[in-house]
Amino acid sequence: MKAKIQRIREEALKELETLKSMEELQDLKIRIMGKKGSLTSLLKQMGSLSPEERPQMGQTINAVRGMIEEVWEEKAKKLDKDALVKRLEEERIDISLPGFYLPIGHQHPLSKVIEEIEDIFLGMGFTIAEGPEIETDYYNFEALNLPKDHPARDMQDTFFITEDLLLRTQTSPVQIRTMEKMRPQLPVKIIAPGKVFRNDDDATHSPMFHQVEGLMVDNGVRMSDLKGILLHFSRQMFGESREIRLRPSFFPFTEPSAEVDVSCMLCGGAGCRLCKGTGWIEILGSGMVHPRVLKMGGYDPKEVTGFAFGMGVERIAMLKYGIEDMRLLFDNDVRFLAQF
Amino acid sequence: MRVSMEWLREYLAIDKSPEELAEILTRGGIEVGGVEELNKGSKDVYIGEIKEIEVHPDAEKLQICRVNIGTEELTIVTGANNILAGDKVPVAVPGAVLSDGKEIKTAELRGVMSYGMLCSDKELGIEAVGQDRSKGGILILSADAQVGTKLNDYLGLDNYVLELELYPNRPDCMSMINVAREVGTLMGIKPIVPEWTQADIPPWPEDIRQKVEIENYDLSWRYSALLVEDVVIQNSPLWMQNRLRAAGIRPINNIVDITNYCMLETGQPLHAFDRDKLQGTVKVRLAKNGEKLISLDRIERNLDNEMLVIADDNGPVAIAGVMGGLETEVTAKTTRIFFESAHFSGASIRRTSRRLGLRSESSSRFEKGVDPHGTVTTLQRVAELLLELKAGVPMSFTEKIAYLPPQAKIELSLDRVDDVLGTKYSEQEVVQVLEALTFGYEFRQNRTIAVDIPSYRQDLKIEEDMIEEIARIIGYDRIPTTLPQGSQTQGRRTLEQALRFKLRKALTKAGMDEIVSYSFTKKESDDIWGQAGRNIPLLNPLREELGVMRTSLLPGLLEIAARNTSRRNMDLLLFEIGNVFWPKELPLKTLPEEKLKIAGLAQGGSSRHWLVPQAKFDFFYVKGILSNLAQESGVEFEYSRIKESRYQELLHPGRSAEIFVNGEYLGFMGEIYPQLDEEWGLDRPVLFEIDFAVLFKNNKSTIIVQSYPRFPAIQRDLALVIPEEIPAQNIKNRVFELGGELLKEVEIFDVYQGQPVPQGHKSLALTMRYQSAERTLKDEEINSLNSNILMQIQQEFGAKWRK
Repeated sequence: MKAKIQRIREEALKELETLKSMEELQDLKIRIMGKKGSLTSLLKQMGSLSPEERPQMGQTINAVRGMIEEVWEEKAKKLDKDALVKRLEEERIDISLPGFYLPIGHQHPLSKVIEEIEDIFLGMGFTIAEGPEIETDYYNFEALNLPKDHPARDMQDTFFITEDLLLRTQTSPVQIRTMEKMRPQLPVKIIAPGKVFRNDDDATHSPMFHQVEGLMVDNGVRMSDLKGILLHFSRQMFGESREIRLRPSFFPFTEPSAEVDVSCMLCGGAGCRLCKGTGWIEILGSGMVHPRVLKMGGYDPKEVTGFAFGMGVERIAMLKYGIEDMRLLFDNDVRFLAQF
Repeated sequence: MRVSMEWLREYLAIDKSPEELAEILTRGGIEVGGVEELNKGSKDVYIGEIKEIEVHPDAEKLQICRVNIGTEELTIVTGANNILAGDKVPVAVPGAVLSDGKEIKTAELRGVMSYGMLCSDKELGIEAVGQDRSKGGILILSADAQVGTKLNDYLGLDNYVLELELYPNRPDCMSMINVAREVGTLMGIKPIVPEWTQADIPPWPEDIRQKVEIENYDLSWRYSALLVEDVVIQNSPLWMQNRLRAAGIRPINNIVDITNYCMLETGQPLHAFDRDKLQGTVKVRLAKNGEKLISLDRIERNLDNEMLVIADDNGPVAIAGVMGGLETEVTAKTTRIFFESAHFSGASIRRTSRRLGLRSESSSRFEKGVDPHGTVTTLQRVAELLLELKAGVPMSFTEKIAYLPPQAKIELSLDRVDDVLGTKYSEQEVVQVLEALTFGYEFRQNRTIAVDIPSYRQDLKIEEDMIEEIARIIGYDRIPTTLPQGSQTQGRRTLEQALRFKLRKALTKAGMDEIVSYSFTKKESDDIWGQAGRNIPLLNPLREELGVMRTSLLPGLLEIAARNTSRRNMDLLLFEIGNVFWPKELPLKTLPEEKLKIAGLAQGGSSRHWLVPQAKFDFFYVKGILSNLAQESGVEFEYSRIKESRYQELLHPGRSAEIFVNGEYLGFMGEIYPQLDEEWGLDRPVLFEIDFAVLFKNNKSTIIVQSYPRFPAIQRDLALVIPEEIPAQNIKNRVFELGGELLKEVEIFDVYQGQPVPQGHKSLALTMRYQSAERTLKDEEINSLNSNILMQIQQEFGAKWRK
């Protein structure tokens, strides 16, 4: 019997050494330790032994059983691990292949820039006002201190629909419309993005383009505040290290008026091709709201003051994205659009 | 306005370069658009004296000259034959660049080295008067020309021009004297402003036939005239010609040149009539309808009763302030002249000039406003120059004054200056500005100064004008940088703006590219796609194809899609958000309705991918994108076949739909009608256009969270074969109804036509999700519910169950 046990032990260990699959392993377990397994049958045969031999033989069989089980477990773990390693190997993919995604579309650079400008001014407590693209002579000119036959009307080549109705040449009429709506509330603090139209078409002019108007009216608004707001805007838009400078200018609806230059975003002010060597780039027109315009809007120029500004969105987009020909913005070639 | 530096120096000693001066002016508010160097072609040319001339030994047409240019003697070979030894001539030395861009180099001519070139005035690009022998050959200067000096110095041609880009508020700077004043103010130098009083001209004789009258006082405040006799027409002197040319005016003869010169100097336009051609009274009046005049440019002008003219007894002789008439022009035969120096209303001149399409140096000054105080001084200047140039004898003078504006004053409060600007200027600083401006002033109470505004500064009318004046002369750099001090405000998009923002993002997230097209378009295409005959025409479109305001966004989209397709950009997902213009009446009397539309166009398909089949940008792709918009707006879109007959010819009748939201018409979508796409060069694009306002009106922005059930759901699939004309949506809706409250969701997950589905039928696969909030459902109850649904559907739609 002892020799049998030894044989079972040796054969089992030998087999455990060589077998390769989980099935073989299971099979082995059944053959040796199952209900009809060889070791189990030996245990059943113990009845034929003398009472003295029984405990000793029982111990021996259990020890062998324990040992085989231990080795079996180890083998099972190893086989599991081998199988996992194999699976990982088999499931290897070419990670250089492109992923699947739904391509996202692109916002037009002009609406992107407008949105950016909006966000900057929303952050400074301005709201967004809008006005019609077809305007009356009154809102586009008269109320902005540009009476009929005023020479400054020549600054803008107007598209007319009738003698009195026209395509707005600037977003400034929204100033008047906003003041009319809000009076006598204070403060008035709006920007007004939108399309404007002038009868002109070349590499630097488009018959339709976009402006963003700004207006702030309150007690004690100063030109220095205008400077502060525009400096903040320029740094948000063109970079933290930008500086601005104001140059005297003329707009019929502001007095004093100023052209605003921002230090060149390409060379930082040293002078380059973009800024034509001056270090400065003109980005917008501005000024203190003309008393007559305040009056037209329903505010008393003795009580309140205000500032206004207007910028060309195309120009800012061109500066920001390095676009050299304005016509690209209206060409809408998808190869251009896909870059935004 | 072109400002000659050489001329400017007559009034001011300027120690700055032209570029520096340009910068000072620009920073002071007078923008300089450019600095032009004049007479570059004669820049490196010296005056030389020909010492000896010999004929070239190997070429009889060439001559070899020894020329002294002061520093050295050069050998120069020339082909000219109008020169003699001893002549003073212009010599271009090696390195000089002539007006045609040719650079002079040392060269060998038939074996003889030549070290420069003798030049004609043409080669130098100048007009200079030399000795008579100069004609057609080398320019021979007068004998007193200094050898070795630069030709430009000698001829007064060394000059720069500043091109001022004047804003309409500074017409005063269309005068050299006023530019000098401005430069003086900005540089802190006092200009020498000439005063002309010496020509003390006697008044108009009593018996003169020419009377002067102003009929329309409101349009002409002042009319001054000077009579000149013994006129000798000839060329004006070189210095005057040079200054006129620098200013961009072509010299003609001494009389015309004097009128132009004085206009440039003082800003007052003048006109010279041949007095012997004027008949009777010279009158400023409005033209009569039907009157005609041939202007100096030899064009017959039709006048009307809103145009101001100068007329004599026979009719108009000049269009006031715009251009003279040919009939009374000064010619070589003229001996007596009537000089006009007048004020005309800017608005009137502007109207006339626009109406006639005729602009002149004179009209461009008058329309912006000319100082009515300057008419007489300018005539005195004319008289002085006439005598100086021996061009004629000033005889007598007369004028009519209807109105002269009084001395203007502006009360300037120093506190107000600081309040508006945010500055803290000292009293002394402000006074210094007034001194620099040479304005009179007087202190009043409460830190207020009464400032006298000179008549040439018509732009200064109110206190704010004066505040700008102070600020710009002290320098805008001195204005500090502050932030507004008032109450805090909340910056936020309105609900409408926020929805628009969200929809734009939703469309780009769905893969669409945003385009921006013009608000005006071609009438023909807009008539087809938009509101036929309701598009608003422009009076003066840029081009005919941009003649009307769009009533639909689709023509713009189609055009841009066509342009892209022609460039082989075939796969397109484009959208635009923009206004269309629907008039309430035509011709337009009131502002039209501006409706914000969202439109899109899809063509082609997604780019090919190794993993998934290519998605076609077809009807359902676009419908899917639209459901994104519906989701973003918190609504559902309903679709039905297009009823409007117009669209049945534009869109594929089987592949198009009207879109509704809460029963309200929102817009339409669909594949373009066969063959219409070919006309555009497109390939079966799918279009949509919806109305933003309708969507906004119906949108639900509030979100209230629903709790989700704790009990498991049961899912059942159902496959049906139904006649193909039955819309899947109908089946889906009916199933949903029949399912009662336990049926939470029905989705169509497969549609199939072809074998083994019989002809005229389609197979539809639905998946249904049953769920209860209160209990776990039993299979049996769902099975019976499901078979009940199946039975009903079979009966109602003639459907068959596919196992």
